Amino acid sequence: MQPAISCHGLSKSYGARPAVLGLDLEVAAGSVVGFLGPNGAGKTTVIRLLTTILAPDAGTFAVAGVPGTDPAGIRRRVGVLPESAGYPPNQTGAEVLRLHARLFGQSRAQATRTARALLDQVGLGGRGGQLVGGYSRGMRQRLGIARALVNSPAVIFLDEPTLGLDPAGQRQVLALVSTLSREHGATVLLCTHLLTEVENACDRVVVLNRGRVVADGSVHEVAQTAAAPREGRVRVPPGHRDAAVHTFLTLHQVQSAAATEARDEVRFALREGVRPEDGAAAVLAALSAAGIPVLSFEVERARLADAFLAITAEAVPA
Amino acid sequence: MSERSERTMATAALRAMARQELRDLWWGGRGLPLMLGYTVLLSVTSYLVAANKALNFLEQREAVSLTLQLAVAVAALLVLLAAADAISGERERGTLEPLLLTPAPRSALVAGKAIAAMSLWLVGYLLALPYVAYLARGTQVTTKALVSGAVVGLLVAGFLCGLGLTVSALARSNRIASATSLFVLLAAFVPTQLPSAAQHGTFGEALLRADPVTAGLHYLSELVVAGHGPTRDVDWLIGPLALAALTGLSAALVSTRLQLLSGARS
Repeated sequence: MQPAISCHGLSKSYGARPAVLGLDLEVAAGSVVGFLGPNGAGKTTVIRLLTTILAPDAGTFAVAGVPGTDPAGIRRRVGVLPESAGYPPNQTGAEVLRLHARLFGQSRAQATRTARALLDQVGLGGRGGQLVGGYSRGMRQRLGIARALVNSPAVIFLDEPTLGLDPAGQRQVLALVSTLSREHGATVLLCTHLLTEVENACDRVVVLNRGRVVADGSVHEVAQTAAAPREGRVRVPPGHRDAAVHTFLTLHQVQSAAATEARDEVRFALREGVRPEDGAAAVLAALSAAGIPVLSFEVERARLADAFLAITAEAVPA
Repeated sequence: MSERSERTMATAALRAMARQELRDLWWGGRGLPLMLGYTVLLSVTSYLVAANKALNFLEQREAVSLTLQLAVAVAALLVLLAAADAISGERERGTLEPLLLTPAPRSALVAGKAIAAMSLWLVGYLLALPYVAYLARGTQVTTKALVSGAVVGLLVAGFLCGLGLTVSALARSNRIASATSLFVLLAAFVPTQLPSAAQHGTFGEALLRADPVTAGLHYLSELVVAGHGPTRDVDWLIGPLALAALTGLSAALVSTRLQLLSGARS
């Protein structure tokens, strides 16, 4: 199956400052990809390159099967919510959408129908006739998402789509993203700083730092590899707590162990380099061998946020 | 996409853009306040020249010429301001990127904006018609004044529209675009204000002809005040015509390479 996005050796510099360095990326059609990175990592530049707003200094790319040499062709197949998009304050929401639909080649009647349907879809159904100048930030963001969908795009680039939205609005947008992918088969590249959004909505995560891809995989893989969990808790009967601590400290996989304030709980930390599943197996085997009953056992789940911080904190060779 | 469907799409985009721009300009935009100020200016000027004429300080044809020149120059200046804001203003407000993300040809987007900017000249000139016609009554120059005013106005407004759009496409902000456009206009105009002795001879006349506004207004003056035929001084329109074509071409060229110019952000 042809990838929805593919780029090879994509590079872009602003003067002497490199923004994107030899980016290689392939995104499967119909997937939702979280595109992460700290400020200045090059995420917006990559989106602008792939949506033909900027021309690359080097490299080749294709979006929705259309090569980068056909910018208008790509723009016909993609929808974009730019991070810093403005909205004409003197136009109504419906006018904004109608104009964009017309610029995508729709007839006047068709554009009116598209605008009405999209306003309903993003929850602005009753506000289409209101001037954008009177919209709240969240309403503008929804309008921007609607604008990105006027051409029923095959690939959707959303740069901070939940910026300025309340939790209910964030949930609604994420649900919309899932719907677009699931029901319409659209590929979504979701650029955000909210990692919980990515954990909830994305099939895959690409982490960018200083213009390079520094992690790429499923949410679970990225979270696991970059920030393997090293801490766990065991609940044992109160009389066995000290024995459990002693048992842990005899294991070479365990760096430290201590009783917590709860009278039946022991907390332990694995040594660096020990895989969590190996450490857990060793701990449970040792407790069993020592005849200590285990009431509950938990190794902390890998979190994307920890992985993100660990990955992006690492120095990247220039 | 076939060449024909591309052309159809470009035409549709141009019409959609022009329609929206015209609506934004005239419905709740700057168009009406600008025209109100312009009309007040014309009214005051017409009253003063009519009063002077009554006192025999100003010959009637001079009064007509003065009002006509003012109408042509000010309406064209409004076009410059609108054109200078057309792209740089969108860029500044963050509304350019969504437009550039559409498959519509960028030249169609800019042409739509040019139509809206030129509408200021058209409305301005239509508003000036009754003033000029009233002042010119009984002089036999009414038709000549109105037709030549339309031709010269169109050339000057076209020149300023092209200039404004070119600068606007290259400027990061509306202020820079407006200031640069006005500076270019002044740079062409200032040499024409040298002492009258310096305006004679080949060099002096070249300076006058090099400024399309001065050259156009000179042509109008020769037609209306001196009573020359329309073809006698037509060479004075070569400058405005050439510069209107040149700036129009440059606007068309830069519009095809329209960029966001916000490179530093990632």
